[in-house]
Amino acid sequence: MSQGMLNISSGPHVRDRWTTQFIMSVVALSLVPTAIVGVVVNGMHALFVILASVITCVVSEWMFNKIAHKKNTISDCSAVVTGLMLGLTLSPTVPLYIPIIGAIFAIVVVKCCFGGIGRNFLNPALAARCFLLISFGRVMTSYAADAATGATPVANLLAGRAVNVTRMFFGLDGGVIGSSIIAIAIGGLLLWAMDIIHGEIWFSVLAGFSAFILLFGGQGFNLQFLLAHLCGGGVVLGAFYMATDYTTSPVSRKGQMIYGLLIGVLGGVFRLFGSSADSFSYSIIIINLLTPLIDMYIIPKPFAYRKEAIAIRNGETVKKRSFSIPRPVTALTVIALLAGLSLSGVYTMTKDTIEEQKGAANTASYQMVCPDAESFTVPDAVKSSLEELAGQVYGSDFGRVYINEAVVGKDGSGNTAGYVVSVTSAEGNDGNITLSVGIDPDGSIIGIAFTELNETPGMGMRCGDPEFTDQFVGKNVKKLKLVKGGGGNTDDSIDGISGATITSDATVDAVNAGLDFFWNVMKKGE
Amino acid sequence: MRDTFMGGVHPLEKKELSRSFPLQAFVPKGDMIFPLSMHIGKPAKAVVKKNDPVLAGQVIAEADGFVSANIICSCSGKVKAVEKRRTLAGTLQMCIVVENDGQFTEAADYSVREELAALSNQDILDRVKNAGIVGLGGAGFPTHVKLMPKDPSKIQFIIANGAECEPYLTCNDRLMRSNSREIVEGLEIMLRLFPSARGVIAIEDNKPEAAEAMKRACEGKTNIEVKVFPTKYPQGGERSLIQAIAEVDFPGNMLPADVGCIVDNVGTIYAIQQAVLYKHPLFSHVMTVTGEAVNQPGNFIVRDGTMISELVEACGGIREGVTLKKALAGGPMMGFALSSLDCPVQKTTNGITLLDEDGVELAEKQATGCLHCGRCTTVCPNGLLPQLMYDAAEAHDYDRYEKRLYGMDCVACGCCTYVCPAKRPLTQMFKQTKAEILAIRRLQAGGKK
Repeated sequence: MSQGMLNISSGPHVRDRWTTQFIMSVVALSLVPTAIVGVVVNGMHALFVILASVITCVVSEWMFNKIAHKKNTISDCSAVVTGLMLGLTLSPTVPLYIPIIGAIFAIVVVKCCFGGIGRNFLNPALAARCFLLISFGRVMTSYAADAATGATPVANLLAGRAVNVTRMFFGLDGGVIGSSIIAIAIGGLLLWAMDIIHGEIWFSVLAGFSAFILLFGGQGFNLQFLLAHLCGGGVVLGAFYMATDYTTSPVSRKGQMIYGLLIGVLGGVFRLFGSSADSFSYSIIIINLLTPLIDMYIIPKPFAYRKEAIAIRNGETVKKRSFSIPRPVTALTVIALLAGLSLSGVYTMTKDTIEEQKGAANTASYQMVCPDAESFTVPDAVKSSLEELAGQVYGSDFGRVYINEAVVGKDGSGNTAGYVVSVTSAEGNDGNITLSVGIDPDGSIIGIAFTELNETPGMGMRCGDPEFTDQFVGKNVKKLKLVKGGGGNTDDSIDGISGATITSDATVDAVNAGLDFFWNVMKKGE
Repeated sequence: MRDTFMGGVHPLEKKELSRSFPLQAFVPKGDMIFPLSMHIGKPAKAVVKKNDPVLAGQVIAEADGFVSANIICSCSGKVKAVEKRRTLAGTLQMCIVVENDGQFTEAADYSVREELAALSNQDILDRVKNAGIVGLGGAGFPTHVKLMPKDPSKIQFIIANGAECEPYLTCNDRLMRSNSREIVEGLEIMLRLFPSARGVIAIEDNKPEAAEAMKRACEGKTNIEVKVFPTKYPQGGERSLIQAIAEVDFPGNMLPADVGCIVDNVGTIYAIQQAVLYKHPLFSHVMTVTGEAVNQPGNFIVRDGTMISELVEACGGIREGVTLKKALAGGPMMGFALSSLDCPVQKTTNGITLLDEDGVELAEKQATGCLHCGRCTTVCPNGLLPQLMYDAAEAHDYDRYEKRLYGMDCVACGCCTYVCPAKRPLTQMFKQTKAEILAIRRLQAGGKK
């Protein structure tokens, strides 16, 4: 037989059909239903956001490899997955430069600069999202998909308002593009069934988060409350798609469980004690950084070196193999339980005091803006209209404002001394702004006082200064107008604080809402 | 007994290509080449020289030391040369070349049966040793060494390995179907040596006929049972079988005998029966010639020293319209690639697989960076962490590889490489790293002297 020399190579000489490209394509496909729901609910712009993100990811990886003279890796489809994930974690209203900048950051900085696929130390899509949140906070967190409600379910949840879990479950209540829990869960469970993502991770993330919310949520075992927290803020998307990212999760099963629990617990901490509705991304990113540490300390021994195997070899009788939860997990759970119990104990003890202080702050601020009154009462008409509002956004001209309370102040002889409306605007730069507006019976403003103002010191915080608040005193108009740069000097103009336009704006909106409520509800009712 | 071992993979079986063809004796015509090293251990010493007449069954090279094995001539004729020839491994090795006279005159009458009862244990061991029997599963460990453990009373299981988990190969399947009685007799001979042991015949469930035949042959035997395992590679690995049957895991520096087990391929056990009851030395064994590139696959009883090219030609050569991309001695998982078909069949060659598609070449095209998906960890039958081992090996961090990751326990079964979606050459790296570490150990031991 005349034959040239044949190829030789080390075995095995047959390989599984699964390739990187196949796995990545399946992951990408499993995200398609989520994307479709997102586009149907949020409109075509959402599709453009996703497409911009995916295309930029692929193009920037191609460009990087071209420029760096590397083998082109776009055919492994991992850039598509990154692009899809990034797109799905953005608000459907963001301008298109947001996904483009994010995608470039994800691919070039987080992935390619660290050596490409499998070398990134953070999940590229999430790192890009966090980068965008920090750099473009205002644009990134405006989820005004629906003008009527404005706030995302989690923002409502954090503000203590009611949310509709069923609508959240199907992704109908705003938030990021990929917020349809059912679509995400179907895709994720499919990947799990195909053994592409590790059950240890997503399960322990959800378990850790749920346990934390139940322990520290202050609501006991309230399933509705738990589901609302689980369905909002990207917890499910994070658990199934972000935390399970191969590169940034530990190698061993045990390590994966610890990693998942840490993400869940940290996510719970941020959710309950932090202020941002987008905090779950941060918790995943932070625990991503712990992965090398987990991998360094938790290396499972080969079967033959495990205690059980050694005992069998020594002729000791060993009980049948049974599933045992690894010790670190048990230890962590116990620690979490203890810490939870003690903290919730502290919370219960201090809860009443906190409430009392809140009440006191309100009464004190009412007194401040209506100094002639000795007592405050709520007329029935006002009470019923407040109940009607039931925590919804008040009016349509004031942004996301809520009327908290409205009282009538009586002087010593029982005559009306003034009116006070407590208003919250969610349009502050760094959270909610709550203030009380005191109004004369003839309609002129007695004064305003903030009960909640957490703006940036030196900027938004300056709205609390008398220089700004004193402008409101004595104004007798139906609606005030914010003037920038000290231009206006009319009866209805308020000079904004330079460098704090957002806060000034929110303040004026809140006062206007208070005035509106005074004229249209309180005055009418009399 | 567990149902199976942990980990493992399911490569395409491809056994249907050859499993319907019964064993047939192959008659070689050309020169026969006998490498002096067809086993683990020291190469044998040639005891014939050029122009010596030889007969089939004659010892032409003697075991050199305890861990070594006799080489038996498989044809009659005369010695043409004792020189270096190319062997399966692709290297030049000392071989005895015999000019085949086509008569196959045997050195003795191998048809006279002696009864086991008349033989002492020492007779059994001597006959196994003289017959030059080595493990026919692929490793080629001298069988007489395996049958003489430190403490024979500690042996609990004699495992007849008929799993044949390697894809494509079917010769052991056919052997169990046609010679089940002989295999059971061979197992009984082994059990004579180890009174406290039980015999287990392990078969994968993709060979129901063989399992049926073995069960029939075992009827009435109280100390032998047939165990059918689910089809999963590497079920036929020594450690996997022991893991499943004796429920023991043992580290790489221990032998099966240390945990009370002896595992032998059914082909080896058949050879033991022939050697002990008929004094028939090991000069032929069963083999499968198969693969998409061969015209007519089949199962054969092949004499050692037969040229592979001659065997392939007898199977109709390469199929028309197909290019032979890869020739393997053994199956695709653990077999090794041949650079040429012009080399002889050795004792341990249990198959020739001719593929029309090179999986490794394809894999190189699909290779990407490691995804850290963990599939390698899931399938490793020893519970190792291939992805971390690879990184340590690549960084030449031998200390971490050996002590922290137990990399020396890798049995090179290839499961991790098979499943790797990034197509990294894991097994290759591990084989190489193990060799490097052993070389360093030897150097250090030499330095101390």
